[in-house]
Amino acid sequence: MDRLIVSPSPHLHTKTSTKSLMRDVVIALLPAVIVSVLFYGWSELLVLGVSVASCVLLEFLITKYLLKGACTIGDWSAVITGVLLALNLPATTPWWVVFIGAVVAIGVAKMTFGGIGQNLFNPAIAGRVFLLISFPTYMTDWTKPAGFIGNALSDGYTGATPLGIAKEGGVAALEGMDYLQTLFFNIGGSAGELSAIALLIGFVYLLARKVIRPYITLSIWATVIVFSGIFWLISPEVYTDPVFNLLTGGLLLGSIFMATDYVTSPMSNWGGVIFGVGIGVITMLIRYFGAYPEGVSFAILIMNSVVPLINKVCHAKKYGR
Amino acid sequence: MLKTFSIGGIHPSDKKISKDCKIEVLPVPSKVYISVAQHLGAPATPIVKAGDKVKAGQVIAEPAGFISAYVHSSVSGTVKSVGPRKDLAGNNVMHIEIDVEGDEWAEGIDLSEDIVASIPEDNKAILEKIKLNGVVGLGGATFPAHVKLCPPPGKKADCLILNGAECEPYLTSDNRIMLERSKEIVIGAAIMKQVLGGCPAVIGIEENKPEAIAAMKQAVSELQASEKGYDGISVMPLKKKYPQGGEKQLIDAVMKRQVKSMGLPIDVGAVVQNVATSLAVYEAVQKNMPLVTNVLTVTGDCLPMENQHNYKFRIGMPLSYIAEYAGGIPKEAAKIISGGPMMGKAIANLDATTVKGSSSLLYLTPEQTVRGVESACIRCGKCAEACPMGLEPFLLQKYARNGMMEELEDNAVQDCIECGCCLYSCPANIPLLDIIRIAKGDVIKIIRGRGQR
Repeated sequence: MDRLIVSPSPHLHTKTSTKSLMRDVVIALLPAVIVSVLFYGWSELLVLGVSVASCVLLEFLITKYLLKGACTIGDWSAVITGVLLALNLPATTPWWVVFIGAVVAIGVAKMTFGGIGQNLFNPAIAGRVFLLISFPTYMTDWTKPAGFIGNALSDGYTGATPLGIAKEGGVAALEGMDYLQTLFFNIGGSAGELSAIALLIGFVYLLARKVIRPYITLSIWATVIVFSGIFWLISPEVYTDPVFNLLTGGLLLGSIFMATDYVTSPMSNWGGVIFGVGIGVITMLIRYFGAYPEGVSFAILIMNSVVPLINKVCHAKKYGR
Repeated sequence: MLKTFSIGGIHPSDKKISKDCKIEVLPVPSKVYISVAQHLGAPATPIVKAGDKVKAGQVIAEPAGFISAYVHSSVSGTVKSVGPRKDLAGNNVMHIEIDVEGDEWAEGIDLSEDIVASIPEDNKAILEKIKLNGVVGLGGATFPAHVKLCPPPGKKADCLILNGAECEPYLTSDNRIMLERSKEIVIGAAIMKQVLGGCPAVIGIEENKPEAIAAMKQAVSELQASEKGYDGISVMPLKKKYPQGGEKQLIDAVMKRQVKSMGLPIDVGAVVQNVATSLAVYEAVQKNMPLVTNVLTVTGDCLPMENQHNYKFRIGMPLSYIAEYAGGIPKEAAKIISGGPMMGKAIANLDATTVKGSSSLLYLTPEQTVRGVESACIRCGKCAEACPMGLEPFLLQKYARNGMMEELEDNAVQDCIECGCCLYSCPANIPLLDIIRIAKGDVIKIIRGRGQR
């Protein structure tokens, strides 16, 4: 009997692995990816392709030649960063700008901190914000390229995003806009912001597969609704309403896929709620009073930096204490 | 809504392959080796020497302290030797080797199968019988039963909880005794409840054993209808969630009370005994039968259905003998567990023998049990979500790897019940419990050392 394995308990192990969790996130992103490709066509395919390929390739090169350690591209996390970065950019972004975004996301935000599990900031958002500040022209070019399927936005349409319109012309400028249509395929903006429904399908999938817990996402939504609700009730002619704020811009994409990133969000449920409230408040402050029309990515980045402090304060309730 | 504990918990596989296999009696081998360390606390002191004739049920070792227990011979025959022998982990433990001759039992033991339901009135005599017959807790910790049944002065039992949760996958011995020995278990509960001053008794059983729940309910109502002293006993079905059968978790589920850190169940008025312990109490008090037999499950996915068994064994039987008798060790088996797959011990030595608390021979295949390669923590928090004590294993393992004792104590590493939920849940295969278990031992030593100064 010298072939028996002897090891401490437990002797069974879950089938869920880092790889399967990350793959589930990619699957949850598929509806949004499909919608964006259908409506933005070849340009969006190019952005997605360049983004995912550069993220994976950069992580491969860095782990292999710079860190000389174990290669981690097999865990799918670089793929998530690639897809998220692409969905955070306009479909018209030139390929070399996308590549620079990937360098910042993987090279700077992820690998310099030690790779998966160690980064302080969400890599895709760090990449997006870098591009937004460095290449504002490309990043706010909302020309709609020719898609495989048409929608209410005609090809070549160059209008601003709903948030941009509201920032420029105030609430009056939104007159006549039926933004319940935004639930489907009609939001101008970054590729991943096209359809609220596609993002919500992803959210339900992530919850059903127990990949994420709902606290962060729901507390962001609740904060945005309450915050904008108060201002809107006080003066509806100055401030945009809660439904508008929930459905437009990057709020759904950010709250479902970026704020819930394991590595850069708090560990405990209450910590998650604080984190979410913070993101909601900062987002709304930027939207109502800031220079930028949209503030979700800044809000997430700022709150990312507070996570270690939140983790220090918020702990789960212990048995018998 | 079924009751369950309030913090954490996981849902490992729900396999109970051998749940319908009736209890069979294992024949006595030609030789047994009986360990003197079959209980929590000080090993018992042997009182026989080579050459002595012994009968089954005769005392062969006496308790060596307050927390210790009598050990009886499980067979009749001649003592061959008294000396060290390796237990299932490979550690040297004093064993008494007996050559079996016939099957003669000591006097005063009722070997009949008649069920004795009327309970003696003298509580002192009952406790003495429980102690003299070597009854220990059979839920895993093998804590001497009579000690638990004598609350320290100033403490009172508000509820006796009978643990029939059997929340570990694969194990079915408790399920079988609840089906086949239902009445005896309820009588044992009534005895313990009387000793504790007449508090209510609740038998907690997980919902995945509907037959056992029905059988126990029927036994309770039949006894309540025909005998005195059975009021206040009830059966409580519980949600299926591991570790439902953990003592602290069961108290939380049944009584909505939580034991304080480093505290005892009696601090919140709870006394928890396993259903198998209740059966042993019945045997000891009503039949004067010492604890020399118990039921174990021989099971595993790689074992054909006809080789799945629930056996009534005697203590001191070599595990290899039981494995052979059950049809041999399957070729696919890479690990053999004594106990459940979550908290059981991997067997290093099949020549080791059964003890009072033996509950299984579980065969696991490499696919089931070999751990994956450890990768970086992705901070998913699944370990903290799973921990039934509300601890943060990701944090504890970090502190432990850096030897940060104060932080470990502040974050309650000493409360860890070693259930394995954290290691089970970790998607990055980090050996959380392996690391935490060692740190816990160190921290408890520090806390105890402080108390003595």
